[in-house]
Amino acid sequence: MDIIESKTWIEWVITIAKFAFCFVPVLYILLLIPMERRGAGFMQDRQGPNRSYIKIPYFGKIRLFGYVQNMCDGTKLFFKEQFAPSGVNKILFRVAPAIPFAIVFLSPCVIPWFGPMVFEWGGQTVRIAGSIVDSDVGVLLLFGFSSLSAFGAVLAGWASKSKYSFLGALRTSAMTISYEVCLGLSLMGLLLLVGSFNLTDIVYWQEHHVWGIVAQPVAFFCFLIASIAETGRAPFDVAEGEPELVAGYHTEYGAMQFGLFYMGEYSHICINSFLIATLFLGGYSVPFVTTETMQAHMGGSLAVLCGILAFLGLAFLHMIYRYSRKLKATTLSNRFEILREYSLYKIVAWVAVAVFVILGVAAWFFYNPANFVVNGVAVGSLATAIGTALIHLLVLVVKSVFFCWVWIWVRWTLPRFRYDHVMHLGWKIILNIALINLVVTAVIAKLVGGN
Amino acid sequence: MLALIYFIILAVIALGAAVCVFLSRHPLYGALSLVTSMVALAGIYGLVGSPFLGVIQIMVYAGAIMMLVTFVIMVLNGARDSKTPMFDKVSLFVLPAVLLLAGVVGFAFVRAPLAFDATALRGSVSLTSETLFNMAQGGPGYFLLFEVLGLLLLSAMVAAVLLAKKRLGTVESENTEESH
Repeated sequence: MDIIESKTWIEWVITIAKFAFCFVPVLYILLLIPMERRGAGFMQDRQGPNRSYIKIPYFGKIRLFGYVQNMCDGTKLFFKEQFAPSGVNKILFRVAPAIPFAIVFLSPCVIPWFGPMVFEWGGQTVRIAGSIVDSDVGVLLLFGFSSLSAFGAVLAGWASKSKYSFLGALRTSAMTISYEVCLGLSLMGLLLLVGSFNLTDIVYWQEHHVWGIVAQPVAFFCFLIASIAETGRAPFDVAEGEPELVAGYHTEYGAMQFGLFYMGEYSHICINSFLIATLFLGGYSVPFVTTETMQAHMGGSLAVLCGILAFLGLAFLHMIYRYSRKLKATTLSNRFEILREYSLYKIVAWVAVAVFVILGVAAWFFYNPANFVVNGVAVGSLATAIGTALIHLLVLVVKSVFFCWVWIWVRWTLPRFRYDHVMHLGWKIILNIALINLVVTAVIAKLVGGN
Repeated sequence: MLALIYFIILAVIALGAAVCVFLSRHPLYGALSLVTSMVALAGIYGLVGSPFLGVIQIMVYAGAIMMLVTFVIMVLNGARDSKTPMFDKVSLFVLPAVLLLAGVVGFAFVRAPLAFDATALRGSVSLTSETLFNMAQGGPGYFLLFEVLGLLLLSAMVAAVLLAKKRLGTVESENTEESH
């Protein structure tokens, strides 16, 4: 078929491989849940859950800093009986948890994970977009999906036939609609400056002008608050407020059906962090370095990247050695057991540091792929393109992890709002600030840019 | 070819869901069918080269307006309507009218020369903005009409608020307001 012949095989391989990014939000759940638990412990000056362990020979009980606890919880959720109270609406009760979780797989398709890969292949220039769907309407598609995902909570509340669930569902639907308006309007100023809905274009603009957070600081905070409200997390978790509603819309759910809601919530956080990082923090672009400079010194860039990773490994080692020293000074009965466990981490971290150093040095000396300029566009080999994509991806992940931490930080810092306060904040404060921001931006853009 | 396969899948979903809107007794099921139909329709919009329209369909209709509709159905306890008969005297007029309309539209579509090119963009963002804001020579410049339409919607909203206010102004509701 001609649709297959329209691209070379390497383009097809990369295009299909990009679909793997659909699983990023699900992988982020594995990162976010330990981060949330240990983060909460850190905020409240306690340890957090870190007692579960895996027993392996020689090193003894391996706890992985509380990570094993999450494996245990996941296993428990998977193998629990799926239970539905009598009187529920059977079909909708089972369908509802799947909706937010299904949307999770669709949402990552418009986020640009790396800059457009432009390289020379078989005598012609190939260009592959960084997002799975390089659409004109990128951001809007994402908003559309996130507004659909609220149906899960609404249907769950209705199908449960329980007053608590029902009230939670009503609150969710009201809050989602309110904050979606704020979310869209606060973004409009930035879109006005960029002149495109396409997320790749937005990142390109930020790379060549200034980051969104500098150009639109007010919009950034409006957007952050609105997207925290959109995910329904504290301080906006009125939909599941325990003091009033038991657990809100998922009161009647247990086992993996509850797990799907839980995972949907965390994936929503992941998507929103990626969105904020893309819109306001320059997305995949490396601060102070343009993609062109990076591609011209590919080996050096990779060496710096490896150096940073090696430094992080050394910082981890420093932490471990300090813990060990403190532990040796105490008289805890299990201190030798813990020291034995730490020795495994030391070995792994030293190996990682060594590998990164070797990789960095090798990249510095041996990885200098040739670059050409065709029609004013830098065109490198496939190797350059993949190296750039790797750096871009890691930069984006670092930015988004920072925003994931902001979510946890806010949750464990602020108390829950009352329902009327949430509505007041949404409709009377954030919406108006966003509108004024839009008008001011439009006037300034007209006066300065003249477009 | 591929576009045709997609179109058939989406059209079957859209039409099936639209039929479900009529056949479902409970208003919430009707609303859900309508959401499904709208999402499938958005897919068709995207398929014929109007991704912008499709996304707006999902955001505004499927996401926001249908969410409000489900909200209202849940608040008003629509389960009472489950016992409403599917056909009554009004159906005698409605059904022939619908069939007649379907026949006329179908006839028009069959007779019209449908030259369809799936690759052409008909409703991209830039095209839409040009249609709206191009006030230069020969440009349509529809945005004034668009604003007037917004005014119409605003007046409808004001009227709705006034009607609701009238009901709020009755003796019982005033008493409850005082007791707060």
